[in-house]
Amino acid sequence: MDAKDILGLPKNQLPIPQEKKSRPPKEPQRKPDGISREVYALTGGLAPLMPSVDVSQLKRRPPSDEKVTWQWLPFTNSARKDDLQLFHWVRVVNGVPPTGDYAFAKYNKAWTKEETDQLFDLCERFDLRFIVIADRFPSSRTVEELKDRYYSVSRALLSARAPPADITGHPLVKEPYNISQEVERKRALSMVLSQTKQQERKDTEVLAEAKRITESRMAAKGPEESELPAVANIGPDNSQRAITGDAVTPSTAMPSSAIAASSTLMADNASTLASLRMLRVYLRTYALDQMVQAASASAGLRTIKRVEQTLQELGVNLKPKVPTKAVCAEHLELRKEILTLLNLQKQLQYKEAEGTSFQDSPYSETPGTPKRAPRGDQDRPFMPDPLGFGGDRFGKRDQKRKAPGRTSEAAQSPSQSKRPRKMKASDI
Amino acid sequence: MSARKQGDGQPEDGGATAGKRLKIAKFSEDPEKKGLSRRLKDAEISLPIVYGTIAFYLGRKASESQSHKWTVYVRGATNEDLSAVIKRVVFQLHPSFNNPTRVMEAPPFELSECGWGEFEIAISLFFHPDVCDKQLDLYHHLKLYPEDESGPQSTKKPVVVESYDEIVFPDPSEAFYARVQNNPAVIVPRMPAGFNISAPAPENTSERERGDTKDHPLSQWFMNFSEADELLKLAAARQQPFMEMIYEN
Repeated sequence: MDAKDILGLPKNQLPIPQEKKSRPPKEPQRKPDGISREVYALTGGLAPLMPSVDVSQLKRRPPSDEKVTWQWLPFTNSARKDDLQLFHWVRVVNGVPPTGDYAFAKYNKAWTKEETDQLFDLCERFDLRFIVIADRFPSSRTVEELKDRYYSVSRALLSARAPPADITGHPLVKEPYNISQEVERKRALSMVLSQTKQQERKDTEVLAEAKRITESRMAAKGPEESELPAVANIGPDNSQRAITGDAVTPSTAMPSSAIAASSTLMADNASTLASLRMLRVYLRTYALDQMVQAASASAGLRTIKRVEQTLQELGVNLKPKVPTKAVCAEHLELRKEILTLLNLQKQLQYKEAEGTSFQDSPYSETPGTPKRAPRGDQDRPFMPDPLGFGGDRFGKRDQKRKAPGRTSEAAQSPSQSKRPRKMKASDI
Repeated sequence: MSARKQGDGQPEDGGATAGKRLKIAKFSEDPEKKGLSRRLKDAEISLPIVYGTIAFYLGRKASESQSHKWTVYVRGATNEDLSAVIKRVVFQLHPSFNNPTRVMEAPPFELSECGWGEFEIAISLFFHPDVCDKQLDLYHHLKLYPEDESGPQSTKKPVVVESYDEIVFPDPSEAFYARVQNNPAVIVPRMPAGFNISAPAPENTSERERGDTKDHPLSQWFMNFSEADELLKLAAARQQPFMEMIYEN
């Protein structure tokens, strides 16, 4: 109807009044059969100007001269070795069940005696040149299938004819033909062959990257193992996850954390430098970028964002405006230091959350770190330590100047770290 | 045969100490080739450059398709002549330009054009054979319109966008080192005492003057890149009290 409006054609009623006199009054009310009313309405409430599908065809019933019933009948599968008989629904036309083998039997790649004989004949004629044999083979079989058949038959014959003890050294028995492995190997080879130059380059890049990561992991594992045995088993996990691209904080063991972190970073540096040297020419900004990435490899996205935030708050450009050798070195060191800082803070958080008493481990705290809370932290009124923790905590605080000032209950900010000293003086 | 002995006195003025410092990568009879194959291990030569664009609004003379006149260039960071290292620069412009691939075979490595659109210019640097056989690609976004959109554009004050960077050549060849050891545009490593390679004859000074950008017509617009500034900021950041915490273990 809309289309006709657009075209400016008169409505259906007018042009052929004689023939369709009885029809028009019925059209709007009568629901056309074949398709539902709503679907019909989609076309504008009328048949389309040029119907592409004959509406009456849409719900055509099968020719009614056939009598079709469905019966639950047994069947056998020629592909099976046993005589298993199963049942299934069968479409029976005029009382005649379908003939022929089970439909899916043809998908079983069975070797007939005839086929096998043909294979062996060709093998002899063509001197085991399987590519030629595959070409000449009457039914379509892949080279690997032919090989598999030949070798398995030969092996069967061999083991049947000779005593088992003698043949264990025979190559047919010792290294049997592994068809799936062969197919896979050839597929991989062809992929490598058909690689474009660009893919090749990408692959070498990825491999170099992976090598770099594993190298740094290995280097990191060395010093870590000497420090704390418990840390070592986190190492392989790390390398696994690093390769899959996940972010993992290096180790959660407190004492060796700082040392482990620095050795990991040094290893990263070394391998990055090595890969840069391969380039023969590069931009300093690119080099810095690579080093930064290598240093942040063990950090999650959120940690990296926090590092960048800290840099901004310190008034440092995320990418140096004047990237000289000295500036880049300083920038990198700064980033690493911030990263170490954040890691230590995180570990502190974890430990405190666990509620363990890691009081005497030499980890540090930061007062008024920008990202933690507004600088108003330092202005917060002094909050007395809950009595429940009094004795032990006080004692331990005596030892370290900058031991954490927080308790798991009070959740005080780290800015309190300087307070304990005062507390010690006044309370004791 | 004397050629077989290594480190036994070299055909050049090098002196025996040079043999200790240098690792001989390939052995060749040709002295020129020797210069190429001998490389300074664990050393790098770097070339500080500045590259970017300066764009002027044409004002009255502007047409719809040519509203700005701009120049893209690569210059030495201290405005020295780069041609001792860079042999050729290729600027790849937007395809809508005629012959979008512009090749500059001589310094100053720059190109001026008129247009109306901003786009990314690809700058490819090609070096002399004894420097590096691989090209280096830079990318720069041509900016025509100023950040501050208030008021009409000035024809006097151009839109300048420059980037500072340093081209690093790790393990440079001996020949390269010899050639540029006294070049003001290049940062060469300090070699141990006794290391001596004769520099080739100095170039024609008049030629060199043409290659540098010290008196370039646009030099008044060149940005100042102060390493000191940035170092200061970085040092200050690293000395923040809370940063010291990491070392208090």
